[in-house]
Amino acid sequence: MSYILYLLILLPILFGIIIFLAPKKLKVALGLFGQVVHFGLSIYLFLLCRQGEAVTISLGGWNPPVGIMLIGDEISCVLIILTSLLFLSFIIYNAHRHYVDRLFFMLFMTLQGLLTGIFLVDDLFSIFVLIEVSTMLVSLLIMFKRDSRSMYDGLIYLLINTFSMTFFLFGLALLYRQLGTFSITYITQIIGDIENVRPLYLPYAMIMTSACLKAAIMPLFSWLPKAHGTPSAPSVVSAVLSGLYVKGGIYLFIRLSSAFSIIDSSTFFFVCGAITTVVGFMFAIAQKDIKMILSYHTVSQLGLIMLAVNMNSDLALWGGVYHIVSHAIFKSVLFLCAGVIVEEYSTRDVYKIRGLFKRMPLVSIACIFAILGITGAPLFNGSISKYLIVHASGNIGMQILFFFLNLGTVLSFVKFFTIFKKDKEAKRVKVPLNRQIVLIVLGLLCLLGGIFGGFAVNFLFGVDVHIEASEYLNKSFVYLATLAVAFVMYISGVTKTKPFSSIRALDLGFNEIALTLPVFFCVLLAYLIFI
Amino acid sequence: MGSLFGFTFGEIAAIIIFFVGVYGVVARRNIVKSVISFGVMEMGVILFFLSSGEGSLKAPILSDTSEIAGIADPIPQALMITAIVIGVGVTAVALTMFINLYHKFGTTNWEKAREARDKK
Repeated sequence: MSYILYLLILLPILFGIIIFLAPKKLKVALGLFGQVVHFGLSIYLFLLCRQGEAVTISLGGWNPPVGIMLIGDEISCVLIILTSLLFLSFIIYNAHRHYVDRLFFMLFMTLQGLLTGIFLVDDLFSIFVLIEVSTMLVSLLIMFKRDSRSMYDGLIYLLINTFSMTFFLFGLALLYRQLGTFSITYITQIIGDIENVRPLYLPYAMIMTSACLKAAIMPLFSWLPKAHGTPSAPSVVSAVLSGLYVKGGIYLFIRLSSAFSIIDSSTFFFVCGAITTVVGFMFAIAQKDIKMILSYHTVSQLGLIMLAVNMNSDLALWGGVYHIVSHAIFKSVLFLCAGVIVEEYSTRDVYKIRGLFKRMPLVSIACIFAILGITGAPLFNGSISKYLIVHASGNIGMQILFFFLNLGTVLSFVKFFTIFKKDKEAKRVKVPLNRQIVLIVLGLLCLLGGIFGGFAVNFLFGVDVHIEASEYLNKSFVYLATLAVAFVMYISGVTKTKPFSSIRALDLGFNEIALTLPVFFCVLLAYLIFI
Repeated sequence: MGSLFGFTFGEIAAIIIFFVGVYGVVARRNIVKSVISFGVMEMGVILFFLSSGEGSLKAPILSDTSEIAGIADPIPQALMITAIVIGVGVTAVALTMFINLYHKFGTTNWEKAREARDKK
């Protein structure tokens, strides 16, 4: 039954090509059919995986260290279900739009296949190939409407990511010279027998630098808001990028750091994660473009996930992985809502948007659910992952750090909340039914993921976590306190002071963004050698 | 074959070429030169792969390599063909995007392109 792994990767690509060649009228029907089949297969893979062992298959019958293997394990199965669910929703959401032609379908579904491949494949060189090809596709999708701003953003995205992948490839060359294999599982097996670790530092630093760029860690995130928040990119593309595609980087990071367990750099990445979170929400507070707020917010949440997976604790790791899933859902809802809002108001300025609730009540409800999820409100999915991360940390210093980090998140969303303010002239607006359904279903998932949080973590990853009611209640009060502090800070006008407005003016050019990569690489290498 | 710091001369040359490319990406403000620098970096990587596989005596396809002297590892060679193809693809897409950008903004300079972008 392991042939299902081939199908999961090839099916979306095949459907994409069929849609491109088939008559125009059939495109939506075929796209939906392909997605439903893919979703079914991904659930089947998940069930197979839950029966015990991970599902594996070797391409061409060659086993590692020479051959390439596909592995569906606990984390990758869940991520594939997530990919499938979100792509299905995005296609329903955008079914009626005029720019969604056959070419868009082909690029979009090919991206889905490649993304599934990144989650499944075990071979580092194949990961390089898949990421490189998907980078090209993503940059084409970013500039799909051929607007001149997105041209610049798409080109920056393509070149910066290619730059980082060349580092990755060079790291692979050095790694192959040392170990003679590209297979992650094989590296995990033999890494314990290596006596001298020092020669591995150079390839490790190169590979990790590019994984960190993909995951948008602190100095390496400047490309992300440009790509995710560019005004004319279709909102589904922003949602795919922010919800799923950056998670590929984090997933790669998790796999690599567990394979190279012999090299301990978790303190370094923990600090990087914390700084990324802070910088992310500082930028988010400074922005007034709603897509930019959301994309800087992605940076901040990625920092949180990075921090969680580097805490050397299983509970925090699963908290981080659950946050990947939750973040994918609520960030998609927020980007899709932003798409509806921008179309209705024809502005992206958060201060000019008023009276959303009166105009589109259902969209607003979904949006509010997602905001509650992302800020970690009790009963929503963000609270479960944040609970697990904080619970694992234990000591009081970490609790204060998390309070501060969450305060920033809440503060940036208090500003976002002004879009629901009353507006007397507002009238009901008709939102297409398919969009309402998608938003409400995904919004409800945020709520369900919170109410059945402990059960969901247990069911998805097969890990037993215990949510203690008293501590959870305690966390809920902390949340309310955070909310109150954030509200007071917002009213007192902290967010409009000078430091924030000067942050907004900060915009790095291509050369500066490119410079951050070698600098990060040198710092990481120095850390590994000297500490 | 001579060696320096445990690297063969081919590998040393590859490392130098790679970092010349990195310098080009970081320091040049011309978009076309950035794309060319990517090509240079990529050449460095390919040279490194090929020179590190040379005479390695661990060709994985053969089980017994004792009788053959100086064989090269075939895996890096196979992989580099893929890498070259991808490099061509990326360069083609980047140059196509650049042509579009040039038609819109009329500049080959990153800074001027950014200023023109912010005005719109």
